[in-house]
Amino acid sequence: MLKRAFCILSISKNSFAKGSFGNDFSIIHFKSLSTTCRCFQELTQSSVDTLDIDGSKHLPKQRSLPIITSRKLEYVSQYSQPKQAWLESLETVDENKIGLIDLHPDVFGAFPRIDLIHQNIQWQKLYKKISYETLETRAEKRGGGRKPWPQKGMGRARHGSIRSPLWKGGGKAFGPRGPQSYFYMLSNNLRVAGLCSTLSIKFAQNNLHIVDSLEIPSDDPEYMEDLIDTRFWGFSVLFVDDTDMMPRNISLAVQDLPSFNLMPTYGLNVYSMLKHETLVLTLAAVEKLEEKLLYQLHRTERQAKFRLYQ
Amino acid sequence: MASGITEKALKLVQSLPRLSLSNIKNLPHSIKKTKRRRRDRQHGKTHGRGHKGQGQRATLPRLGFEGNNTPFYLQIPKEPYYKDHELRKEYVPVSLLQIQRFVDLGRLNVKEPIDLSSLCNTRLIQVKWEQKQFGVDLLDEGADIFCARLNIEVQKASELTIAAIEKNGGVITTRYYDPHSLHAVVNPAKFFAKGVPIPRCKLPPQNEIAYYSDAKNRGYLADPEKILHARVELAQKYGYALFEYENEEEKEMLLTRKDPRQIFLGLAPGWVVNLKDKVILKPKDPEFVNYYKS
Repeated sequence: MLKRAFCILSISKNSFAKGSFGNDFSIIHFKSLSTTCRCFQELTQSSVDTLDIDGSKHLPKQRSLPIITSRKLEYVSQYSQPKQAWLESLETVDENKIGLIDLHPDVFGAFPRIDLIHQNIQWQKLYKKISYETLETRAEKRGGGRKPWPQKGMGRARHGSIRSPLWKGGGKAFGPRGPQSYFYMLSNNLRVAGLCSTLSIKFAQNNLHIVDSLEIPSDDPEYMEDLIDTRFWGFSVLFVDDTDMMPRNISLAVQDLPSFNLMPTYGLNVYSMLKHETLVLTLAAVEKLEEKLLYQLHRTERQAKFRLYQ
Repeated sequence: MASGITEKALKLVQSLPRLSLSNIKNLPHSIKKTKRRRRDRQHGKTHGRGHKGQGQRATLPRLGFEGNNTPFYLQIPKEPYYKDHELRKEYVPVSLLQIQRFVDLGRLNVKEPIDLSSLCNTRLIQVKWEQKQFGVDLLDEGADIFCARLNIEVQKASELTIAAIEKNGGVITTRYYDPHSLHAVVNPAKFFAKGVPIPRCKLPPQNEIAYYSDAKNRGYLADPEKILHARVELAQKYGYALFEYENEEEKEMLLTRKDPRQIFLGLAPGWVVNLKDKVILKPKDPEFVNYYKS
């Protein structure tokens, strides 16, 4: 029975590998796999129990693989299919896939609105900007109260002040008058659409990875560098978890590596996602993100208009 | 969301370089450049206004002026469309199609009587009392596909609308709210938060009394027996059979009606609803009781 299950898994795994890297991407493969895997998981669990009772512990201890995380997706339209992603683990340097999860099509498979992403980026750059640039007007310039020469009789052009904008060293007409705030609020819908588009593009371009947790075996920065090198995660990686109390080992490992950063879900934003080449979400972060974004996408109540001084 | 177009777009994105801060840009022509009129080399002499005269000095005659002829816009007599606009009442149009859609989507509960509060609580219909809107007008659009059985209370309804609702065994009542009561009805939660007693609804003004006491309009002031006759009459006119009630529960729901002075079902005028402590405060003073009684 166990052998048969292994066969099924190996076959479907092959079909998977094809499906994920080739162009003939088909969802039927995935669906069949998820069911077979679920059967397999049950089988392995039961077999491990019996082995333990027998006392034959010469087999190497293994995690009951693969983990299929069945997630209940809310608000899935009948015309859209859930996206599927590998669930990975950071416990080894090499890439190890420990399961498959479903992702919500409205969050991770939304239409890639690059213009909205651009609007979000502009907003994030501008809302905190204060321009201190300022230039003196003719009134603020020193001197210039006296008429340089009489109005008539000199054969020269008429002038009333040596600080007139026409003069060299004169004041500036309509110059910058800082400090000036560039603060504005992007509408809620555009912010939500920007996040969904960015997550979808990251997922489509294979720059989004989902891990079970951010636990790593050592606090050595080299471990993290090796892991990211072997998995081709690029030069910069953003790790997102649902809490702001990050695990000890990864915090220490990433501390001195400026291009690898940790962030809680509530801090996730479009700018940071695009600044880093790869985005790594934990399963809990995915849950929280989907919950929050779907609430915003499907809420019926209007949100109160943003006011700066309230 | 995930249509064929979305899938296509995402597939296209797969083949493009990684989206990053360095390669993101806005859609072309999304920012409109304002035309600047400067006194520079091109625009120095006449500044685009030509030589001499009315054009240059901005002394052109008024729009429509025909050089001492009686202008066209004064030859036509006035048509006073907006005369007495400040006295007119406005009713938000709501169609049967919309109601059917709300019912199908679960935004309206047909197990309970539906009134203006429940329509406004869907957040899909807004009644603005400050814009002289006095409620909703139920239109007959979608009457042929309407199939909900409900007890609904609206402000205006046409004959066909009434027929469409009664054909399915439903009940419709037309009812007037004065602006003060309407203010409470359109947003009950906001009203209760004020801690003000529920107002006693006023009777309709002189010109509306006839409408609301007519059984043909299913007015709330009409004689109930005449309404029964009118139901039968309308059924004969449009050729449908009146429904029998299936059970006692449904019958009770469909026959529930508010008192003419009452604006919330189950709450009497004069009561104060405290949503925070979940308490209802009722007046005891005989003077108040007398004031708020129907």
